[in-house]
Amino acid sequence: MRNATLNQFSGLLTREIMKTYRNPWIIAITVVQPFMWLAFFGSSFASAPKSFLEGFFHTSNYIAFLLPGVLSTSMLTVGMFGSMSTIQDKRFGYMKRILLTPTDKATIFVAKSMGSTTRGMVQLPVMVIAAFLFGVSFPLNPILWIGWILALFFLGLGFSSLFMAMTVSSTDWQTPGVISNFITMPLMFASTALFPQANFPVWMRAISSVNPVTFSATLGRSIVLGGAVDWTPLGYLAIFAVLMLFVGSVMATKWLRVE
Amino acid sequence: MSVSKTSSETVHVNDSSNAIVMKGITKKYGNFTALDNVDLTVPEGTIFGLLGPNGAGKTTIIKVLTALIPADAGEARVSGHDVKKEPKLVRANIGWVAAEVILDDDLTAMENLWLQAKLQNLQEWKERANDLLKYFDLFDRKDTKVGKYSTGMRKKLEIALALLHQPKVIFMDEPTIGLDPGTRRMLWQLITGINREYGVTILLTSHYIEEADALCSNLAIIDHGKIVATGTPSELKSKVNADIIEIGLNYEPDVTVFERMEGVLDASRTENGMRLKVTASEKILPRILSSLKIEGVVKINVDKPSLETVFIDLTGKRLSEEDNKMDMRKFYATLRMARR
Repeated sequence: MRNATLNQFSGLLTREIMKTYRNPWIIAITVVQPFMWLAFFGSSFASAPKSFLEGFFHTSNYIAFLLPGVLSTSMLTVGMFGSMSTIQDKRFGYMKRILLTPTDKATIFVAKSMGSTTRGMVQLPVMVIAAFLFGVSFPLNPILWIGWILALFFLGLGFSSLFMAMTVSSTDWQTPGVISNFITMPLMFASTALFPQANFPVWMRAISSVNPVTFSATLGRSIVLGGAVDWTPLGYLAIFAVLMLFVGSVMATKWLRVE
Repeated sequence: MSVSKTSSETVHVNDSSNAIVMKGITKKYGNFTALDNVDLTVPEGTIFGLLGPNGAGKTTIIKVLTALIPADAGEARVSGHDVKKEPKLVRANIGWVAAEVILDDDLTAMENLWLQAKLQNLQEWKERANDLLKYFDLFDRKDTKVGKYSTGMRKKLEIALALLHQPKVIFMDEPTIGLDPGTRRMLWQLITGINREYGVTILLTSHYIEEADALCSNLAIIDHGKIVATGTPSELKSKVNADIIEIGLNYEPDVTVFERMEGVLDASRTENGMRLKVTASEKILPRILSSLKIEGVVKINVDKPSLETVFIDLTGKRLSEEDNKMDMRKFYATLRMARR
């Protein structure tokens, strides 16, 4: 039986990935979008005096400061793809085809979440190369890289699951967009993804310090900017991912329906 | 793994072996009773037809039998497994062909089969997949994206998917809805073909009388969530050994006159005229007409004994009337196909 679940999961996940990467436009935009972030947002401080940057960002290379934050922010939105593909499967009836095989609803849920996370992960190499071209230097220690990749993966998985859980019973095309705006905006700004926490008001700092985006941005930043790396955020992110996967699986088992 | 089972293996192993058994199944949606105490038995290896107008409960029966929705009361077994207690075993033993043709258009035919194999947890499926593609004449196009397939090819591939895991029962919900007459006939041949070749039991729903007559060895007529009659097509036809005359009138007739007429078995008013059950329409029609105000006769329809007359007799309405109304499901199916 476990073997069956594994087979079903790998089949569904492969399908998600195949469908994504057969569409060249999806790849192009996935690649261009974070690059634009870096170019536009990064350039907005281009003529800021060095002393201001050092004081505000604690580094003169604000792109190095920004990169881990932007990557974390984009993992925040990837969940939208999973829920859109779920809604598409429901509307075109393909979900019914899946449900008429011995596949558990939880398996479908986990495959969709993993699918959108994988889709988000492809931005990492693109962004790293882009940042390198903007003059950011990176550590060579593979352990740091693995840690960073895992942090982003957990963040993506957690938010994908949260996203999918919120839209699990929906068949409306518009829902993922609405939920995306609802989740993304507050969590992006109430985190250290774009600005250091030091200048936040107390209430925002409170949100920021439990916001998974902050954990991922902080860990990524300590890796990119160098210095001592505190691995605690990675633990929090793993807990966040597992918790969301679990909650989402339970919700999917209960509420994922074809009509 | 061999593809073709010899028919003796599966067809009528013994008389008590039934592919599907439903006992007292009731399903309600709020106040609406979709299925009302339905009993149904489908013998193994047969093509069984559920015939009824839209909204009669045919699709609900399929949903209950495939464990997509739970019944409120009653018991159902598919290929020996209880749909409530063993839904996974049921789903491992059934195939499904949708009314609207549901495939993943972004994947090729082979990839669609591959995914089905993954979902059904099949280890050795390639050979059978190839054989099925050859059987359905799709082998040359196996690496083409399904989005580029014609409707007929899509339908064939869907049946191949349904057969891949060697199911005991295949459910076909309105398999020929929205298809042109040529494709429909091709599909009829395929359905009888796979039933013979693979020994698989087929439960299909239809609201086309001629489809049920051409394909099914057993039929159940369903109306308002109730099974109103079951039997072979010829058994059902012999039940109503009479012609049915429907006369459209622009005034209200007095049916008692006709009830007393010799050769008239039954007479009833309809929405815009009357309906008579008679022994021999060609003999009695002149007499009937002479008793009517001839300028008030709008139209006359005579049906010789057929499944249509059985249906009219049992439900008081004609199945083909459905075709004149806007069929929303057909409309959506067409729309969905057009979107591709």
